[in-house]
Amino acid sequence: MVIIFKKTIPMVTVLCVIIVAAACGYRENPPLDNISYRLKWLFNISSAGDIWADVHGHFQKQGLTVTVKPGGPERDAIKELELGHAHFGVASADQVIRAVSKGSPIVVLAQLFQENPLQWIYRPNKTIIESPADLKGKIIGVTFGGNDETIMRALLAKHDIDENEVELFSVRYDYTPFYQGNVDLWPIYRNAQAVIIGNRLRDAGEQIAFFNPHQAGITFVANSVVTTQKILDEHPVIVEKFMDALLTAWKESMDPVNKEKVIETVHQFDLDTPKEIIGKQLEITRYLTIPSGDYGNGGEFFGKIDPTAWKDTEKIMLDQKVIPKPVNIEKYLKPGN
Amino acid sequence: MLHRRIYQFLIVYALGICMLFLVKFALNLSDYVIPSPMEVWTTARQVFLRYLVNVMDTLAVAVIGHILSIFMATVVGIIGRLTSGVGSLIKIAAFNIQAYPIVAVAPIIFILLGDGPASRLLIASMICYFPLLLSVLGVLTEPVSDIEHFYRVTGRLTWQLEVKIRVFENIAKLTTVVSGSATLAMVGTIVAEFIAADAGIGYTIRIALYQSDLAKILVALFLIGIWTSLYLVCLEWLGHLIQKKWQR
Repeated sequence: MVIIFKKTIPMVTVLCVIIVAAACGYRENPPLDNISYRLKWLFNISSAGDIWADVHGHFQKQGLTVTVKPGGPERDAIKELELGHAHFGVASADQVIRAVSKGSPIVVLAQLFQENPLQWIYRPNKTIIESPADLKGKIIGVTFGGNDETIMRALLAKHDIDENEVELFSVRYDYTPFYQGNVDLWPIYRNAQAVIIGNRLRDAGEQIAFFNPHQAGITFVANSVVTTQKILDEHPVIVEKFMDALLTAWKESMDPVNKEKVIETVHQFDLDTPKEIIGKQLEITRYLTIPSGDYGNGGEFFGKIDPTAWKDTEKIMLDQKVIPKPVNIEKYLKPGN
Repeated sequence: MLHRRIYQFLIVYALGICMLFLVKFALNLSDYVIPSPMEVWTTARQVFLRYLVNVMDTLAVAVIGHILSIFMATVVGIIGRLTSGVGSLIKIAAFNIQAYPIVAVAPIIFILLGDGPASRLLIASMICYFPLLLSVLGVLTEPVSDIEHFYRVTGRLTWQLEVKIRVFENIAKLTTVVSGSATLAMVGTIVAEFIAADAGIGYTIRIALYQSDLAKILVALFLIGIWTSLYLVCLEWLGHLIQKKWQR
C-alpha cells in the first residue's frame, strides 16, 4: 500500500498544481480597468460589430479598455465569466438556458441576432423541400449534442414527423458526406459557411437552397451578449457604457454606407476569407440582425431582446429534455442595461 | 499487479475529483462550471452502461491498432536494423515523421477513409507506431557484441539469429515500451473519435462537450482510466510471462 501511495505522489502533485493554478486564475472581483470580452466563435462576419467596436475605438470613446478575444469550439464565455477570466461574453441561447438551469449567475444584455443563422443546405434538384413534411425519408445532418440537433428534433415534433421517418446523420466539420451526396440536408450557418460552401457548389455547377427552421415555425435564439449578475449590480455604469459602445458599433457595421470599410475591417481578422465572400456574408448578416432586413427601418432594433423567442427556446429545450425543469428565462433578460 | 494499477488509478481519480469539488465549493462555482457530487453520481447511474459500451468500442479499436503498430514496428525495425541505405532511410523517416503531429493529419484521414473504424484504427496505429518503431530500431541496431561475436566468427550468424539475440537481451526494455505505447494507442483512438468519428468514448465526450456537461466527461474519464489500467496490466502480465519463458 505504501508503494502505491509513493508511486501516486508525483501524479497527485501534478494534479494539485493544475487545480491550484486554475483556482489562482479565479478572480472573485475581477477589476474592470481592463475589460475582457470573449466571443463565441473565431473572428468572422458573425462578430463584425464586435470587431468594429474594437478597431474603430468605440470602447475607448466610452473610456473603456476592452480586449476582444475570439472564441472557438472549446471556449465557453459563460464559464469564463464565472471564473472571472472574462467580464462580458457572447453565448448562444441554449448555452445561456443550460447555464441558468444549473445555477449560473448570468444575465443577458442584448440579443445580437434577431433570427437564428442556423439553416440546412440542400440540392433542390435532388431533394425537394416545399414544406417540413417533405423532410420525411430524408437523410438530415445534425451535430449530436449541438443546438442544431435540438432545433431539428423540435421541428420534427412540431410537424408530427416521427424520428423513424427521417435518418439523422452525425455531422462534424467535414462536408464530404454532403458533397458526395450521402446526406440530403446539412446544417450550416447561413451568414458564414453557407456563402463559402454555396459558392463552391455553384462553381461545380450544383444548385443549392436552404431550409430555414425559423420559417417552419421554430424560434430558437442565437448569439447574445452576457455578463454576470454581480458585474451588472456592482458596475452598472460600466455595463451601460460597454453596451452602448457595442450596440452603436453593431449598428454602424451593419449600415450599408460602411459596407466597404466593414469588409476591410473584418478581413483584417479573418484573412482566410476573401473580401468578396465577406461582402456576401455581410449582406446576409444584416438581414439576420435586423428583422426587416432594411437598415433604414430596422436600425433601432439592434440588440433587441425578444422575450417571446427566449421563452420559445426554453420550451423547445424543455420539451427535448435538454433542461430538466423550467428556468423562467425572462427573469434573466436585462435589456437596456 | 492488477490491484496495484487499479488502486493507483482510483487514488488519483478520487483525489482529482475531490480537488475539483474543493475548487467548486471554495469559489462558489455553479453546477454549469463544475457539477455537484450528486449530479456526477446521478449522471453516472444514467450513462454508465452506455459509456461502458463506448469505452469497450474504443478499447477494441485501440488494441487492434496497437497490435498492428507492434507488428509494423517489428517488421520495419528488422529492415531498418540494416546498415544499408534502406535502413538509414527508414531511421531518418521514422525520426522525422514521429516529430510530425499526427492529429493535424487526422482530418485528412477522415476525409479519405470516412468516419468509420478504419480511420480510427489508422490514427491509433500511427500515434503509437512511431515511438514504438524508434525503440525497436534502437534495440535492433545495437549489437550484443559478446554473444554475436562468437556466432560471427564461426560463420553461423544469420539475420534471424541476430534479431533473436538482440530481442532476448532487451526483452525487459521492449516489454516496457510495448506497455507504454498501449496508452498512446488509447489516446490516439480517443483523439480520432474526438475529431471526426461517429462512435467510441471520444465521440461521446465530444457530445458532452457540446452540451457543456462536465459530469458526463468525468464518468467517461473514470471508465477510460479503469479500462486503460486493465489493458496495461494485461500487457505487463504477458510481458512477464514471455520473459519467464525465455529465461528458462
